[in-house]
Amino acid sequence: MKFEDIYKEYWQKIFRLCMGYTNNYELAQDMAQETFIIVWQQLPKFKQEASIGTWIYKIATNNCLRQIEKQNRFPKAELPVNLAEENQANIEPQIKLLYKFISELPEADRIIISLELENIKQAEIAIIVGLSEANIRVKIHRIKEKLSQKFNQNGQR
Amino acid sequence: MDNDNINFNELWQGQTANQLPTIDLLKKVNKYKTSNYIKIVLSTLTISLTSFFICWVWISYNPQLFTTKLGIVLTILAMAIYGYSLNQLFPLLKKMDNTNNNAEHLANLLALKKKQQFLQTTMLNLYFIMLSVGVGLYMIEPTSEMTILWAIFAYGITALWFLFSWFYLRPRQIKKQQTKLNDMISKFENIQAQLNKE
Repeated sequence: MKFEDIYKEYWQKIFRLCMGYTNNYELAQDMAQETFIIVWQQLPKFKQEASIGTWIYKIATNNCLRQIEKQNRFPKAELPVNLAEENQANIEPQIKLLYKFISELPEADRIIISLELENIKQAEIAIIVGLSEANIRVKIHRIKEKLSQKFNQNGQR
Repeated sequence: MDNDNINFNELWQGQTANQLPTIDLLKKVNKYKTSNYIKIVLSTLTISLTSFFICWVWISYNPQLFTTKLGIVLTILAMAIYGYSLNQLFPLLKKMDNTNNNAEHLANLLALKKKQQFLQTTMLNLYFIMLSVGVGLYMIEPTSEMTILWAIFAYGITALWFLFSWFYLRPRQIKKQQTKLNDMISKFENIQAQLNKE
């Protein structure tokens, strides 16, 4: 599989994952770029028998987890600030709220719900995170409940 | 609940971001180097160079006393042990596979951080002690040719330096690194606990 195609197909998905994790547009963009740099470096080692999606999501989620150890280690995204703001300003308030609420969850839950909302099969999420499918199902159910509650408390209808 | 019918999936998909052209992305690859590797290589290089210098001193000055030789051996050994333990991190860093699942990745990260923690305290202490004893022994020969006053002066200065390093530099260095590491370890453990929780 060609890097160009992967990059094109997965960019928005990986960006959303990072955005759900941090709720910080610029940081999420940096993290997504980091992920694709790792993908580019590791691609020759990718074994064809595995699913490329699962493989990329493993890299992306592990990179999210590692943000703890690399504050300010990566050059800032070379994107004009006003462009980033403009992107955010045009967005529906409900979308903003969803990302805000997700980023307030515990780290593991952020990853699990982001993958679920990206329509990834629960069996696959289980492989990416390293938990049983049953466990993932329960967690997703609870996280969705928590998110609904947050929306309710916020008075958003 | 009123919001049970909120379509989270649809909202989720509403977020988009500009994509950097591939060529610009790949330009960043070179900037993306782990500082850990660089640190290890630099420390190893410094230690090797110093050891070579000490060996050179031994050969060119041909010390007579046993204590001098023992001092030199101890000093080099201190640096060798430190360098060796520092390089123990290499395989661990290499083994850091980003394509493991999250649970495995967290376990590997924790192992790495705990190893770093051990190196930074135990090995640093050992290094300091061996280095101090080594230098102290080495100095016996040159100071034996001095007058008592100069010998006391020479030992005094050296002792002062070691006291300063031991009681000020070393704890400060350890504390700085440990605060950062402990913080990371507790955060990683926290995430691990989230995964283990039913």
